[in-house]
Amino acid sequence: MTRSIILAAVLLFAILLSLMIGQVMLSPATLWAGLSTGQGPAALTIRVLRGPGIATAVGAGAVLGLSGTIFQILLRNPLAAPDVMGFTSGAGLAVIFGVMAGLALPTPVLAALGGSAAAIVVAVLSLRRDGSQTTITLILVGLGVGFFTAAAGSFILTRLPPQEAAEAQRWLSGSLAARNWGHVAQVFGVGAVLTLVLVIQSRSLALLELGDDLAKGLGLRADRAKWGLSATGVLLAATGVAVAGPVPFVALMAGPLGARVTRARHPAARLAAAAVTGATITVLADLAARASIPGLQLPVGVMTGIFGAPYLLWLLAREIETGDL
Amino acid sequence: MDNALKTKSLTLGYRERIVINDLSLELPEGKVTAILGPNGCGKSTLLRALARLMTPLSGTITLGSDDIFAIDTRALARRLAILPQAPRAPEGITISDLVRRGRSPWRGLLAPWSAADAEACARALNDVGLADMADRPLDELSGGQRQRAWIALILAQDTSYLLLDEPTTWLDLTHQLEVLSLLRDRNQHHGATVITVLHDLNLAARFSDHLVLLGSDGLVAVGPPEQVLTADNLHKAFGLSALVMADPVTGAPMVVPR
Repeated sequence: MTRSIILAAVLLFAILLSLMIGQVMLSPATLWAGLSTGQGPAALTIRVLRGPGIATAVGAGAVLGLSGTIFQILLRNPLAAPDVMGFTSGAGLAVIFGVMAGLALPTPVLAALGGSAAAIVVAVLSLRRDGSQTTITLILVGLGVGFFTAAAGSFILTRLPPQEAAEAQRWLSGSLAARNWGHVAQVFGVGAVLTLVLVIQSRSLALLELGDDLAKGLGLRADRAKWGLSATGVLLAATGVAVAGPVPFVALMAGPLGARVTRARHPAARLAAAAVTGATITVLADLAARASIPGLQLPVGVMTGIFGAPYLLWLLAREIETGDL
Repeated sequence: MDNALKTKSLTLGYRERIVINDLSLELPEGKVTAILGPNGCGKSTLLRALARLMTPLSGTITLGSDDIFAIDTRALARRLAILPQAPRAPEGITISDLVRRGRSPWRGLLAPWSAADAEACARALNDVGLADMADRPLDELSGGQRQRAWIALILAQDTSYLLLDEPTTWLDLTHQLEVLSLLRDRNQHHGATVITVLHDLNLAARFSDHLVLLGSDGLVAVGPPEQVLTADNLHKAFGLSALVMADPVTGAPMVVPR
């Protein structure tokens, strides 16, 4: 319990810190004045300049964290996150493709379509002849799909006018620049609906965690439950991608880190911890991206990449050592 | 009411390979039954089918008057529980968290945890002798304790049928006896029907009322241990030349390979 409070406090602290730091530094007193009265120099910074980006970071980080944890529990492997398996880059590619082709579909729909398409491709390509799947094949096929979407994305970028191409390039690496309250409403609105669905599904996740046979023996329609959870997972990831681009490694890191801090074991508790941790990682990465080089705002994905890639390598080494890979 | 588990002309297999062919069998209610046979004879496959974990190629399985494939999944889970072979526990899960999940067939979609659920879990933990260790993580337990925790999970499910696939694998002899005594006790004092797949013929004879002996070509014998475990049947099922004598402790048949 106290550990969950610590986790939430860290998120709150990260948000406040992120509101204060930037090209214009706000003192805690100015920040407080701006937050409490809605007046003064801080109010503008909060309402227009930093607020929407930070709120989007919280929402996108939370949905990515939830999505990652769903797949990690479902596939019983800490590597099995939607960013490693290419789902988020599939969603990102679909959005860029939509821009190039001039499709009139809203971004979240494009992201959802792209994410689902990538997930289906990965699922089908990793099917073995007897109809079974192994997690390691899923991950490797997913990495392959990820490389493919990256290449396809680069190709599309060359087809775009220079101005748009530069913007699309930023967005593809995961960016929170120029977010507005519309993005915030979108990620929290869609995220809330999906989270509600996930609350209902979390009991099935607790049974599937015991293996398919036991889950079925305990009265679960395991195949249907897995489809449902995978759909929720893909849509949650797409919701995050739609507002922040395919930010890498947040979905991969949030679950294990959150579980480590809170010592949560039950899937429902792990999901909650992952949402808060994902939000914290994204807010801090965004802060680092804005503050590390004065006058230059790096894409947030560059920062999550800098922390995430070594984590992925460490995880791979550990999995190989324990023989799970 | 007749509540026996029966198979009729049951054929099971994977793709082209038929494992069980045209098997008609009754597994008596209120008894302890062990399914025996050499590796690859289909004993685990049969148990999985009885728990509806695999679909037969042909034939039927009935529980009482119901076709088990027509019963609602949750309704079946209130009548029949299965513990698969060597289940894998989620990392760090505690005994009580594991056992609580056994209540799921009894809980509504959003129903809160009820007093009846808590009572069933407490009883299950008590029956397997782990009540004072409920908050310990499963990975810290010995093999025997861990197996008892898994059994507590299916006891919390509160079913009249308990199916267990090789519940004694990987356990040393003391713990094997402990697990089988526990199941025997469930049968004698709680009226549970227990169906296990076992490897050890002598333990099966000692702890079961009813044996199903399968060979590579199908059913060899079925009935009480002294009728099933005969030198002739053992030769048919295992190609084993053995002497069968009375177990000096229990009087049950004991197999001594020549």
